[in-house]
Amino acid sequence: MDLIMMLLIIIAGVCMGAGVHFIPVGGAPAAMSTATGVGTGTAMLAAGAGMTGLITAASLEGAGLGLILLAGAIGSMMMMGITMLFGNFIYVFGVGVVPSSGKVEKDPITGLPQAAYKTPGTEGHGVPTVSFVSGIIGSALGGIGGGMAFYAVQEMAKNSTLFAGNMPVIIGVAAICSIGLFFVNSVVASYNIGGTIEGFHDPKFKRIGNGALASIIASLVIAIFIALIVGGI
Amino acid sequence: MADEGQAVSSTNLLILGVIGGLILVYLSTVNATIGPLFACLGGVCAILWGSDAIRRVASYGLGTGVPSIGYMSLGAGCVAALAGLAVGAQFNLVIAGPVLALLFGCIIGLIIAVVAKKIVGMKIPVLERCTTELAGAAALSVVAFSAAIAGSIDFTPILNNVVATGFIALLFILNTMAIQHPYNACLGPNEDQVRTLKCAASTAFLSMIIVGICTIPLGHSAWLLVVVVGLIGWIIAFRSFVQASYEAAASVKWSGLWPKTED
Repeated sequence: MDLIMMLLIIIAGVCMGAGVHFIPVGGAPAAMSTATGVGTGTAMLAAGAGMTGLITAASLEGAGLGLILLAGAIGSMMMMGITMLFGNFIYVFGVGVVPSSGKVEKDPITGLPQAAYKTPGTEGHGVPTVSFVSGIIGSALGGIGGGMAFYAVQEMAKNSTLFAGNMPVIIGVAAICSIGLFFVNSVVASYNIGGTIEGFHDPKFKRIGNGALASIIASLVIAIFIALIVGGI
Repeated sequence: MADEGQAVSSTNLLILGVIGGLILVYLSTVNATIGPLFACLGGVCAILWGSDAIRRVASYGLGTGVPSIGYMSLGAGCVAALAGLAVGAQFNLVIAGPVLALLFGCIIGLIIAVVAKKIVGMKIPVLERCTTELAGAAALSVVAFSAAIAGSIDFTPILNNVVATGFIALLFILNTMAIQHPYNACLGPNEDQVRTLKCAASTAFLSMIIVGICTIPLGHSAWLLVVVVGLIGWIIAFRSFVQASYEAAASVKWSGLWPKTED
């Protein structure tokens, strides 16, 4: 049973790591509207989306795996969607730039031309439609990962003699272990993309294979230590 | 590059963090009133060590910002801290808990650094050593502050007083900020190790004050001692940090900016 849960933790880690590759992380350049994406680093964006997902997933504690995953995904998607939407409001009405991608000539989803709206000397700005859709997919993956990790750790802890079925302790352990797993995977993924990415249309997205492999190994290590916490194996 | 010309050698800070931190954490069990104070001071040692490690690794430019590696190390550190204490409890070796936590933190840190270097392709020569130290320092700081809040290094009181109450999430963010903020705030062309460490001491004592407040539910006067000592430490550290910043600013005002070495 514990082995299945450990496998779930690894899958959750890969979901988290892969999710980061979809999220339009703009970093400091985007904060100055000189690059496409939301103007903050991966740690902040992934943490925000992941923790919202974790909280919505944890609010359904006791439900089945499917419902927990769905709750996690919806919580994360809402957080990411609101962040990107209001970020765009500020870029459009505050800074006065048109959301446009710097990596593609035409938006792969709407087909609208991008290059003409890009300010010379910048790598695009704002969150164009393709990045927005990509961000929603990424946050859904992150939320599913967060919910799955929470569920798996909770199930492992429930059967543990160390916690004696003490629910507040079990939820606390599940939450902090999922957060730990989340941060390790999101930061390893952000190292893989080199800090900033526009979404699935970005050439850097091709590195996702490497990122997934790194996430598998990192998650396996964390899963082993989580098993030690709950006294499994 | 960061190792040369350091005012305080990284080995000394490592010894301060590992030996000083561990001894102070173990001293926390001697007395219920003064114990939390020792544990908090152990946490301060670990944070100083961690912020020096982050200074060495982030000076190469991570590409993702300084906070990212801080969050990652605390993510690994929290899991390692709980794992160390849990293994200690399972084998009836409570005394081994903090050492195991530190060891587990170092192991997770090392593996993540190797993954980042070999698979992801990071090109930072000190990545392995610094991430190992960083995750170890993170685990030790979590153990130290948890011991202060729970008043014990035993796993069960820590579970009930730190994990079940949710203080563990506070410690996660608190220690991340205390470890990553000093270098993130001080980095730049005139960054100076002593000034960064002064900032680190101020953030560490500031965390100690908050941990002191979290100790109130324990129900004895230990919290007051932690808060007062933390406040005194913070005033001294922050005052010297501000003075060091003024001195560095004055050197620019009197002798102008540094000549450009690029081009």
